[in-house]
Amino acid sequence: MKVQAWPLVTILLVGAILFPLYWVAIASLTPEGRLFAQPTLVPDALVLDHYRALFGERDFWTPVRNSLVVAGATTAFCVALGAVCAYALARLRFRGKAAILALVLAVSMFPQISIVSPLYLVLRELRLLNTYPGLVLPYLTFAMPLTIWLLVGFFRQLPPELEEAGLMDGAGRLRTLWDIILPLSWPGIATAAILTFLYSWNEFLFALSFTLGPERHTVPVAITLFRGQYQVPWGQILAAAMVATVPVAALALAAQRRIIAGLTSGAVKG
Amino acid sequence: MRHIGFLTAAALALGAAATAASCARTPPRVLTVSGSAVGREGDLLRRQIERFARLHPSLTVAVRATPDAADARHQLYVQWLNARAVDPDVLQLDVIWTAEFAAAGWITSLGRFRPPVDDFFPAAVAADRWRGALYALPWFVDVGMLYRRTDLVPDSPRDLDELALLARRAQDVGGIPYGLVWQGARYEGLVTVFVEYLGAFGGRILDDAGRVAVDSEAADKALSYMRDAIHAEGIVPMAALAWQEEQTRLAFQAGQAAFMRNWPYAYALLQDRSQSSVAGRIAVTPMPGAPGGAPTAALGGSALAINTHSDQPSDAYALIDFLLQPEQMIERAQVVGQYPARPALYATRALAEALTVSPSDALEVIARAVPRPTTPVYHELSQILQVSLHRALTRQQEPCPALREAAAAMRALLARVQLTPPGS
Amino acid sequence: MMPPPPATAGGSWRRDEARFAWALALPALGVIGLVALFPIAWTVWESLHLHDLRMPWLGRPFVGVANYAEAMTDARFLDALAHTAGFVAATVTLEMSAGLVLALALDRLARARGLIRTAVLLPWAIPTVVAALAWRFIFESPGGVANAALVRLGMAPPTWFADAAAAWIPLVLADVWKTTPFVALLLLAGLQNIDRSLHDAAAIDGAGPWQQFRQITLPLLAPALLVAFLFRALDAFRVFDVVYVMTGGGPGSATETIAIYTFTVIMQHLRFGFGSALSVIVFAVAFLFALAGIRLLGGRAFEDRPS
Repeated sequence: MKVQAWPLVTILLVGAILFPLYWVAIASLTPEGRLFAQPTLVPDALVLDHYRALFGERDFWTPVRNSLVVAGATTAFCVALGAVCAYALARLRFRGKAAILALVLAVSMFPQISIVSPLYLVLRELRLLNTYPGLVLPYLTFAMPLTIWLLVGFFRQLPPELEEAGLMDGAGRLRTLWDIILPLSWPGIATAAILTFLYSWNEFLFALSFTLGPERHTVPVAITLFRGQYQVPWGQILAAAMVATVPVAALALAAQRRIIAGLTSGAVKG
Repeated sequence: MRHIGFLTAAALALGAAATAASCARTPPRVLTVSGSAVGREGDLLRRQIERFARLHPSLTVAVRATPDAADARHQLYVQWLNARAVDPDVLQLDVIWTAEFAAAGWITSLGRFRPPVDDFFPAAVAADRWRGALYALPWFVDVGMLYRRTDLVPDSPRDLDELALLARRAQDVGGIPYGLVWQGARYEGLVTVFVEYLGAFGGRILDDAGRVAVDSEAADKALSYMRDAIHAEGIVPMAALAWQEEQTRLAFQAGQAAFMRNWPYAYALLQDRSQSSVAGRIAVTPMPGAPGGAPTAALGGSALAINTHSDQPSDAYALIDFLLQPEQMIERAQVVGQYPARPALYATRALAEALTVSPSDALEVIARAVPRPTTPVYHELSQILQVSLHRALTRQQEPCPALREAAAAMRALLARVQLTPPGS
Repeated sequence: MMPPPPATAGGSWRRDEARFAWALALPALGVIGLVALFPIAWTVWESLHLHDLRMPWLGRPFVGVANYAEAMTDARFLDALAHTAGFVAATVTLEMSAGLVLALALDRLARARGLIRTAVLLPWAIPTVVAALAWRFIFESPGGVANAALVRLGMAPPTWFADAAAAWIPLVLADVWKTTPFVALLLLAGLQNIDRSLHDAAAIDGAGPWQQFRQITLPLLAPALLVAFLFRALDAFRVFDVVYVMTGGGPGSATETIAIYTFTVIMQHLRFGFGSALSVIVFAVAFLFALAGIRLLGGRAFEDRPS
């Protein structure tokens, strides 16, 4: 009996984990009138009305574009600057390294709410509120430390002879980095890029605080502000939720091994 | 080293290009107006804006939607204006927000456009002034009115005592469950009801100099009177302590009350035979006075203001001026039933045809309009007062100590924000 | 790791390496300094001032610890602290337990490992907003599926989001659902580091599964458990998204957490000085958690070590 218990537990737990997503997916395809009437586990009628309204009447393309631009730009910056910084921290010798690593870790644990007010005032002064740079800059707060930490862990795992080999061939340090180390680092850099993109796509507080209107709202903010008209348009909200989920779910599916390895390397706090 | 520079430059250039490309795609400058934009009011606004746009072909005008609920709209305005957003250029403000926004520097004074202030109701204009300067122009006025059933009470009561008497009689003789209904829930509406009773006894929340006067004898009398109407006389139902505008309207509309205190919006609905059982049997007057005071109507309504950071203030003023023209105001009266802010219109045939209520009745009430305190911290003062008023009305506290507490808290607040008038 | 310098090079090699390293590291560190360190310093400075953006005529006077004193006597702040503490206790307990069970289950998986791990990863990967909306929808009265199920079981469910106490249940459930996978994966990694042979030896000695769990698994898993606990507690303490989207802190301010109240004070009441004081308090508590976490991760994390 005990031997069979674990598979059952697994099935139950996985079922519980997947149920809400399943429910949202089904609801997003259910006509509005039937959403709160007699919920059934297996639906009988599925319609695309909500998705059509979402992209037709509501112009959901704009938030999607905003999220893509912001998450993409953040990822690009972080990977570019963070990778070389992580390389220095992981494989070069210089004084103050331990302190810097501790500092980077500490910064990644800053509660976002604690820096909203100065960031708001600075962005307002620079007239960057409700702009793309006005979101990317704050996002670097959590994205840069995350990238650095991940890549430090990764770079440390590369064989120590790589720099030696480069130097023996007469290449400078920079050449070695560019031609030898980086190409070998694509798995780690890809993981960092994926996780950074994920966190940026899902981010809410900064997007809520530093954008002012639908032209620059990101997907999470746009969905949240759907409410507030007459009735809550649940069908469209859930359709929007599915749209918000698809990119990151796809990433998770495609890169689950990498993501899990990155998460559990002790570098990421969730 | 060159490569480092190249790397960083490439990344930055990529980012910059992406951002620049998207920034370049922002739409050209548009004059935006924000306000009530749903339902018939929204259609009306868009129609009038189109008319304006035809007269000014060089301008593009758009409406920027805001939520309908006052608090939500206020919050959104605060968020935009505090962020120094350039849009919207023109804002529809609740009359109690003008001082707050003016003092915060979010709306610009209108003096330089030399608006024709004498064409509007003085009480409404006064509510739009802060420290002597004019910051908004009245769009439409709302006033608290006493509705009565003409079949039960043919003549209007001359004072509060007569009102109580007639209400009592309607209940005893006419078999009506409620004598008088007003909004007694713990919200802003309660303060407006209080303002009317307060004025009836000659009191004010803040006196002319801006000093707190809500612990005066008149205020005590007014609040006691309200409390007794519920608990001692039984004229006003206990349920009213949780009611807002709609609940009182529905009760009166179903014939359950002889008197109702409400805003003008209810009139057209009450005269609609398809849903109202009292159609054709109602009349409106100001809330009556009492010894020591005068009939008082709480002033509400909306005003139009210009965003300080707007890059098109003159165009914004042109739009405001257009929307405040008699023609537009009469159209608004006809479509939404809102009272124009221009006294001169009340003598015209056009308005008589547009409004369901007779303009002279409306004018009689507006003449008694008293604005709520014009102060940037009105919202906070109102919160303090609401709590005390409701506590007294629910008999958790006697009116006198409740008002004294409220007054002390209000004075402390004004002191804290350095708005205590000199000589207090 | 860079190889040791050749005997002839001397100190300049080290200096070269250091210079190169700093050149690589400075851009990223500069960014961090600009967008993270500078703001947190500013927040601390701002917390010592009165700064109400609605009242520019008050200026920005220095008020010392007046904001902190106000916080200590602010009923709404103290309520928010209590709410947050309760939320942390409830969610961390549930997440650790469920996460442990899930990790043990995943550890014993024979087949479909990748697929199941992906499925388990989904709640973590999606935006918190989506999780909050999904659970709000499930509990939305009266026609939501939660109510339907409860009614079928013969119970009378409350109006979840209008009830000050009941509103916590969907909140806690949503947060637990979203983050248990992460805890499970952390613990799974820890489990997989435990040597099988230990269990085999214990089995030979006649120890049952529960005994093995208590005497082998738990002790060896303790570091991972502690790390997971600390980081989850830190995250639960600064929870914002799920509460804002699901209840907005309501009904009234019944589900207001410390981050939500701070946000309201700053972004709605525009009291930047007072809000900064609240922010610093949040930061201080988070810092304590972080310190404990860094201690636990060990100084090893900061040393140079070869792969």
